[in-house]
Amino acid sequence: MIAEIARRLAFLPVTLFVVATLVFLALRALPGSTVDMLASSFSTAGLRDQLIAQLGLDQPLWKQYLIYMGELVRGDLGRSFITGRDVATMVGETLPVTIELAVASLVVMMVVGLGMGLAAAARPGSLLDGALRFIAMALFALPWFWFGILMIVVFSLWLGWLPAFGRLPSSVTYEPVTNFVLIDAILTGRPDLIGPWLAHLTLPALTVGLTTAGMLMRLARAGVIETGRLDFVRTARMKGVAPGRVFFRHVLRNAALGILTVIGLQFGAMLGGSVVAEVVFGYPGIGRMMVDAVLTRDYAVAQGAALVLAVLYVLVNLVTDLAYRWADPRLRREPGR
Amino acid sequence: MADTAGQKLAARAGAGLRLSPGAALTALPWMVTALFVLAALLAPWLAPHDPVTGRAAPMQQMFSDGHLLGTDALGRDTLSRLLHGLRPMLVVSLGAVALALAAGGAYGLVSGTAGGRTDWAMMRAVDILMSFPLILAAILVLAALGPSLLNVTLAVAVSQLPIFARLARALAAGEAARDYVLAARAAGFPEWHVMLREVAPNIARPLLVQATSVVALAALTAAALSYLGLGVRPPAPDLGYMVKEGQELLFIAPEQALLPGLLIAVFALAVSFCGDQLADAERRGGAA
Repeated sequence: MIAEIARRLAFLPVTLFVVATLVFLALRALPGSTVDMLASSFSTAGLRDQLIAQLGLDQPLWKQYLIYMGELVRGDLGRSFITGRDVATMVGETLPVTIELAVASLVVMMVVGLGMGLAAAARPGSLLDGALRFIAMALFALPWFWFGILMIVVFSLWLGWLPAFGRLPSSVTYEPVTNFVLIDAILTGRPDLIGPWLAHLTLPALTVGLTTAGMLMRLARAGVIETGRLDFVRTARMKGVAPGRVFFRHVLRNAALGILTVIGLQFGAMLGGSVVAEVVFGYPGIGRMMVDAVLTRDYAVAQGAALVLAVLYVLVNLVTDLAYRWADPRLRREPGR
Repeated sequence: MADTAGQKLAARAGAGLRLSPGAALTALPWMVTALFVLAALLAPWLAPHDPVTGRAAPMQQMFSDGHLLGTDALGRDTLSRLLHGLRPMLVVSLGAVALALAAGGAYGLVSGTAGGRTDWAMMRAVDILMSFPLILAAILVLAALGPSLLNVTLAVAVSQLPIFARLARALAAGEAARDYVLAARAAGFPEWHVMLREVAPNIARPLLVQATSVVALAALTAAALSYLGLGVRPPAPDLGYMVKEGQELLFIAPEQALLPGLLIAVFALAVSFCGDQLADAERRGGAA
């Protein structure tokens, strides 16, 4: 087990290095265009060259790469080509927003996905099972962005229950400390922030959570049904253990491992889904920042955002994998793959 | 497999009077998918107006004279744009899956058959590609290549590559351990022969089944990319981009955003059910 953790952790820097290189190469494939966008208003050649030199784009690619890597190692993500702001600061502002959204979505996904999965697995083949399976499939097939718009139409436009855009209403003054609204509300004694924050969080979190719940439902259902067919469950039933106890102590406990892994892996899908949800709901997270940066060819910002998202994803997957191995004694003894 | 299941279902659906409710439910996703393909193919003849140049009054309501689903902010007929918008969706989702199947399948085949260090190195490369969330990988590819129909197809294909590479590798590694592969190697056949003639035919079927199940994912990813403004360039009609355009008019004409999204959802749902049926059939076939 310890050897496995060490092996995975040793591989981590390699992954991060390659991820950083790929991000760099992907966004430098068209190096002239940021300047073209910036310089379109003043088109004299002299100004254009000056701008290129200022952004360091006149250096050969390998030199740009070395500079980029050197800065990266020191935690410097560079400055926005367009606003001149420090990218690390921008990430510090937007990443907590995305994490809030991802965690809220995860809660929605777990409640809905597990609820539906366990309800369906209780009586496989029943009408309820069929209906839930259809709903799960439909949730999976919904385009996330469109589902978000549908929610805006129903809950904001028709019913007027929830706000459709942004993270907090402009009428509320919010001075961020950690940029996590809930933590700041506690730290600075501002409980009045929590209500509007939750109201704005609800629709995006429901959008991401519900569209990912379908997958969890199917896997939870399959896991419970498969575990229920195993010999030790039959033995428990034959001993006369009460059905509720068989379900919770025997079946669920053993199916839980697989389900937990799925939840961890889905967190990555949440990060991806939140990119889209943030654009739909005008939610000021790192995903929206990245898409805006790609559209305006602001490489430094797009690079920083992509890198941070990828690193987060790698770390979450690693933790999930290790937690899974730690929780299952059978895997602890086996040598690594 | 795909053909026979489809044919069987078509034959059952064609039995007309003897159609049982169960068979009808089974055939429904195939019929819906076929309808989408037909509508996309016949779009130039079915569409009542030109999808790109708007000649009518803008923002007409649904069921108005000559414009069944109204017109958008530029006076373009919504029904015509929806019909033409089906084409990029089908081209991109089917094209991307075909590309990912071919490239990922070949990659996994080589990795799994070769085994040893080659296998280890090739699979770690896939792990690294997997260290991006799928949509993020696709966004990066588009950022590098610029928006166009072909590039969206490539971006979606790249995002699906690991799925096929891993599956093909697992299947190929399983086959490579079998006696007939050992026999072929002992008989002195070159490695490419072992891969293409011995292993490949035996892993093709599950790969094709997997391909059917990810068409929906491809369609959804492509639509999301278009929605983000990274896909087809306007004014070309595209369902994902129509949702984005419609969102700006959400408070005046919500149907402009809801209709194109509904089409994407119905298509994705139909192909998901088709993929599920094939996967079930494959599992039963594997067990027998």
